[in-house]
Amino acid sequence: MPYEFEEILETIRMTEIEHFDIRTVTLGISLRDCHDRNLEVAKQKIYDKILKYGKNHVKLAKEVESQFGISIANKRISVTPVSIPFDSLKQDEFIEIAKILDKAAEEIGVDYLAGYSALVQKGMTNGELELIRSIPEALSQTKRVCSSVNVASTKAGINMDAVLMMSEVIKSTAEKTKNNDSIGCAKLVVFANAVEDNPFVAGAFHGVSEPEVVLNVGISGPGVVLDAVKEAGKVDLHQLSEVIKKTIFKITRAGELIGRKTAEKLGVQFGIVDISLAPTPAEGDSIADILKAMGVEDVGAPGTTAALAMLNDSVKKAGLMASSSVGGLSGAFIPVSEDLGMIRAVQAGNLSLEKLEAMTAVCSVGLDMVAIPGDTSSSTIAGIIADECAIGVINDKTTAVRIIPAFGKKVGDFVDYGGLLGKAPVMSVRKLRCDNFVGRGGRIPAPSRSLTN
Amino acid sequence: MKLSEDEVRRITLDTITELGENATPELVKQKVKEKIEKLSEGSVSFPIGSTSSGRVILTAFGLNKPGIVAAITKSIAESNCDIQDLSQKLMGDFFTMIMIVDLSTSPKDLKGLQKDMAKIAEELKIKIYLQHEDVFKFMHRI
Repeated sequence: MPYEFEEILETIRMTEIEHFDIRTVTLGISLRDCHDRNLEVAKQKIYDKILKYGKNHVKLAKEVESQFGISIANKRISVTPVSIPFDSLKQDEFIEIAKILDKAAEEIGVDYLAGYSALVQKGMTNGELELIRSIPEALSQTKRVCSSVNVASTKAGINMDAVLMMSEVIKSTAEKTKNNDSIGCAKLVVFANAVEDNPFVAGAFHGVSEPEVVLNVGISGPGVVLDAVKEAGKVDLHQLSEVIKKTIFKITRAGELIGRKTAEKLGVQFGIVDISLAPTPAEGDSIADILKAMGVEDVGAPGTTAALAMLNDSVKKAGLMASSSVGGLSGAFIPVSEDLGMIRAVQAGNLSLEKLEAMTAVCSVGLDMVAIPGDTSSSTIAGIIADECAIGVINDKTTAVRIIPAFGKKVGDFVDYGGLLGKAPVMSVRKLRCDNFVGRGGRIPAPSRSLTN
Repeated sequence: MKLSEDEVRRITLDTITELGENATPELVKQKVKEKIEKLSEGSVSFPIGSTSSGRVILTAFGLNKPGIVAAITKSIAESNCDIQDLSQKLMGDFFTMIMIVDLSTSPKDLKGLQKDMAKIAEELKIKIYLQHEDVFKFMHRI
């Protein structure tokens, strides 16, 4: 037999018991040729193009799924940041674009389409300004469209005017979708150092340097790593990092295989594998549980940041060896609502927003799916975003804020979306004010490490 | 790859016949060594780069009872698939079997076979998984 008994059983165990699946196959489609002076024509062009490339996306991904016996949890679409090809549009017209994107996503059967985005780290064009203003309305009038705005980068610094504006957009989105637990905010990400090939919604977009169409894959598999860590028992951290690396290596290889096969079937170029460990609200599919298995009593205990840093680094190292096309965010996600262990830690009072912020300095993204009281002021939200951006800009990493000021809710309440978005306990936010700082506006200059030439 | 004593003997005898009059102990030893090395190379150089071999790996496990192998192999034979390798182990009362099945001669695709196996699995109260060989190749072979 060309394979060992143990090898075969290991694969079966990963896919059947430990929830190893491909988290997403995301088809990136460029919309740069869809501009037209006539809005109706532009809309038709967008719809036709997404359908042209995407109409078989779900069907073919399902075929690959059954062929390899590995499930693909999500099939998604990302498009060029909408502000770029349609820079001449006004607020109302952008909402029309969002609606047609929503319709196209529904037609091809994907749950989310991302790329209602703008990149404004150094300043805004008129179109970008209009797009940002349209976000609350666009997210409340559509179901599947996701939006992201990049407000900072290591090269450009932090655009504090954009940060302030986004904090108001977040507040307004929360209010506009108050009947559904402010779900609009779960589809809105504020980035620093956004990457162009991230396959994970809601922050995905098809970057300007990407080809016409490309397929990117996001793997998952916290359950597999959790069991490996548990099985390793009482070994030192050096050995534990080896255990994690070996496991990640295997699941990344499977991810690359599935990605290449799906791209081959669709007849499009294969882009990258994003080796992020992405939790789901399912029992055992949790990053928090891995951290606990590594030895901290609960997430939030001293030592949590170090454990997460090691986990994140091991994931990257193994992924780099396993695939020559690693990209995206690649690390460990720590969304609160999508991870049962994180939810429990918040409920038990063990995990505060401040500790979570420290953890984001070493995880792959940032403050993700965090619910805060609905009466939090927009300047406080701006302060939270600015802090997160600072971590990203200074450390030359991607950080993001997907925060939900849950309309009408207080600390201890829940927002509950069901499905993959899960449910988040409302966390308390410090009452200290930062109005006079964030209110200054302007741009925090790029750090000295931006001058690498 | 491990060879049994019988296989080594067969290879040796073949070599002696091939060499005929020229056979010397040293030459036979060298030729046999070459042949064995070549054989083991064959199993290592398993077509890793080439994807989609048409082969799937069937894994079955559950409580042991008479007729599991019979039911599975019967259905595979009826679908005109070729069983290329089979390994079966009992772990206490627990039955495990791993099979490499070539689908390229079958009118059925993987989905069809999966459906047949799901039926058998339900009848016998065991678990049967079918996955394309490439998954194992990618995960366990560099």
